[in-house]
Amino acid sequence: MSADQFVQYLVSGVTQGSIYALVALGFTMIYAVTRVINFAQGEFVMLGGMLSFTLASSVGLPLAPALILSVLAAAAVGVLMYMLAIRTARGASVVSLIIITIGAAIFIRGIAGELWGVDPVRPPAFSGHESLSFLGAYIHPQALWIIGTTLVVTVVLHLFLTYTMVGKALKACAINPVASSLVGINPRTMGLIAFAMAAALGGIGGVVMAPLTLATYNVGVMLGLKGFVAASIGGFKSQLAAVFGGLLLGIVESLAVGLDWGPFTSAYKDAIALVVLLLILLLRAGKLAEEERTS
Amino acid sequence: MLAKLKSKWYYSAFAVLLLLLVLLPFNWFLGHYTSLMIFIGISTMVTVGLCLLMGYTGQVSLGQAAFYGMGAYISAILSKSHGFNPWLAMLIAAAATGAFAYIIGYLIFRLRGNYLAMATLGLGLILYILFRQLGQFTGGPDGMAGIPYLSIGGLIFDTPFKRYFLVWFFCLAVLFISQNIVRSRTGRALRAVHGSEAAAESIGINVAQFKVKILVLSAVYASLAGSLFVHHLRFVSPQPFDFLASVVLVTMAVVGGLASIWGAIFGAATVRILSDELLLGFGEWDIAIYGLILMVVMIFMPEGLFVKIKEIFERWRLRYRRKGAET
Amino acid sequence: MSKSVVLETRGLSKVFGGLVAVDRVDLAIETGEITAIIGPNGAGKTTLFNLITGVYPVSQGEMLFKGKLLNKVPPHKRAKLGIVRTFQHVHLFGNMTVLENVMTGQHPRSSYGFFEAALRLPKVHREEENITLKAMKYLNLVGLGTHVQQNALSLPLGQQKLLAIARALATEPQLILLDEPGAGLNILEKRELSDLVRRIREMGVTVVLVEHDMPLVMGLAEWVIVLDSGQKISEGTAAQVQKDRKVIAAYLGEEEV
Repeated sequence: MSADQFVQYLVSGVTQGSIYALVALGFTMIYAVTRVINFAQGEFVMLGGMLSFTLASSVGLPLAPALILSVLAAAAVGVLMYMLAIRTARGASVVSLIIITIGAAIFIRGIAGELWGVDPVRPPAFSGHESLSFLGAYIHPQALWIIGTTLVVTVVLHLFLTYTMVGKALKACAINPVASSLVGINPRTMGLIAFAMAAALGGIGGVVMAPLTLATYNVGVMLGLKGFVAASIGGFKSQLAAVFGGLLLGIVESLAVGLDWGPFTSAYKDAIALVVLLLILLLRAGKLAEEERTS
Repeated sequence: MLAKLKSKWYYSAFAVLLLLLVLLPFNWFLGHYTSLMIFIGISTMVTVGLCLLMGYTGQVSLGQAAFYGMGAYISAILSKSHGFNPWLAMLIAAAATGAFAYIIGYLIFRLRGNYLAMATLGLGLILYILFRQLGQFTGGPDGMAGIPYLSIGGLIFDTPFKRYFLVWFFCLAVLFISQNIVRSRTGRALRAVHGSEAAAESIGINVAQFKVKILVLSAVYASLAGSLFVHHLRFVSPQPFDFLASVVLVTMAVVGGLASIWGAIFGAATVRILSDELLLGFGEWDIAIYGLILMVVMIFMPEGLFVKIKEIFERWRLRYRRKGAET
Repeated sequence: MSKSVVLETRGLSKVFGGLVAVDRVDLAIETGEITAIIGPNGAGKTTLFNLITGVYPVSQGEMLFKGKLLNKVPPHKRAKLGIVRTFQHVHLFGNMTVLENVMTGQHPRSSYGFFEAALRLPKVHREEENITLKAMKYLNLVGLGTHVQQNALSLPLGQQKLLAIARALATEPQLILLDEPGAGLNILEKRELSDLVRRIREMGVTVVLVEHDMPLVMGLAEWVIVLDSGQKISEGTAAQVQKDRKVIAAYLGEEEV
């Protein structure tokens, strides 16, 4: 592989990895605050993409309001999901919650499949299709939007969690839910906010990604899974590690396909994330078991 | 005394069910549904394994379709591409799937809850990708056709009518065995693992071994079901073994009641009838409905729809008997 | 030596990262006696139990049960050897009835396996009958002979603790470790508990209990071992230990009866 090609694959890896990072941030947020693994996280990304297509292309709204509305709508779905499914299942076992979120995921997916059909849709790109040259590689402007947005989101999220009251309350809830409730932080409100934010994060991922990689009703499955893998690299606790995990996964996938290494044809690309997942789970099994036992 | 009366009731219910099952394909009207009933029987076999694993032992598997697929593909490949006797192929498939489950079990059961769920999901998906990609063996995404029928001596299972009895023979055997296990010291050990692993270990139960054993059993059930599946359709493709298939299996188990062996028939039947008969032509609605069922059942009746119906029925019976005593 | 020693530890230590939870503890539990292990909170009493039952691996030292080394024996095999415990937080099998909980305790004393169970061979019927009879015997021993078909968690806490003891007894142990059996019980229940412990001892089972309730311990235990910060600081009869200045100092500042 030449240096140019390497850079090309690297760029595409970072682009894809940024999406994974956004999904991973959502997973981490919800898990930290509510201890729930939200299997529907990938669906928020899907919704972001699909809605932005409908609003921008079909309805014909100007770009900015279309994007904002799409993200808000995704956040609204997140809120609905929390209120109808998670809140009402208070006290359910871990396995029950897993099944409930899976149910929510495929419910959302099914509705999306009905509303938008099975064919992929492509919302308009933010700033055209003229590829820019960068270190010997061509980079689509949308990719820059993706990477840039992820960067901005990560920074803003960090600032929000560290410096605002709500953000600090969320962090407190994540660290010690009992103590937090004793000082007046309502865990249910926190859960609601966590879900809304995670859904918004997913939605943002969807709206920036769809113009480049298209959106289909079932794109949420693999995205959710890969975001999960990325989040698990950070132990589901660290925002930064989640972003790092997402980028790392994206790069590894891209390079593996580019290097055309043994069985790593593009068909097996998805398997990479799965193998990474299993490796992480198995290697960390002991520590993870301790966490589950104490939580 | 109450236990004896109850068991008499159950025996007669079982006898009626058996009678209906036997007569179904002969009936002019219900006979149309013979093929559906074959699929219900096959699905029940896999679902029972899930009930044992999830409901009784408290574990989770989001990749059970992988075992189903392994049984299907090994049977298909051995009997079609290598000319093995289909029964031998089925046996080898079950043994191989069981051995695979054995190895996997010791690795993943150190995980619990969410992480275990993800591990099973990941494994299931990896196997699906292998089914799809290893084209030289599996026929790739388009699958393989021309799988021979099962036969015993001169009797070839070449009509749905004959295969109906074959499948339900296996299905009832699986149900019978599972019910026996549940009502035994083994069943109590499994439930103990679910109830409290620490306490189970303290009274002498080898928790890790029991988890693996039940995974192996559920894998063997699924493999047998997969083999019967391909000898029914004479065709195999990766599509029935993807993540959604695993989710559908969990839906069946959940609807039937995770901790109910006989509920598995109810769960499998409900979901199959919904998907094959009622939701045809509704596009992607069936996925949405699965999702809805999963959510509603798990939130409002986590013990299962079947078990809930039984409870309501029991309450009616008591109220009716009390009324009868009053008058 | 007048009696034999059923459980012995030599220099037993358990370290978690930087924390020494159990620090070179030497014990000798006499067969057939009722021994109490007391000490302020965090003294390492439950950790000690966890080492004996195999929940935690030993960092250093040896444990000998009836003269044989116990360290490498997997936890689930210790019940068969004759060591059983109850838990501070009860840990009943909430998915089973009262009777089934105790029947499960018979697991190490029954033998039929997966295949025999699957085919429901005659051996299964015979053993199940035996198991049920024995379970009822232990339920009657602890006073829970009625309401055996109800769910285990529907019992009030005091009875749940009795059920846990019945389940442990069903393993037909030689040594039973009771972890704070009196916690959450009222005075009447504690008195019944004391009677039960004595009945258990009469059956030939050696009892070791961890307790915080001093009157309960002093009235029941023949031998008392005091732990503080992982170390054994005193042992003797209840009267001796009560007067030991080291023990009083360890408890100073603690709420004590």
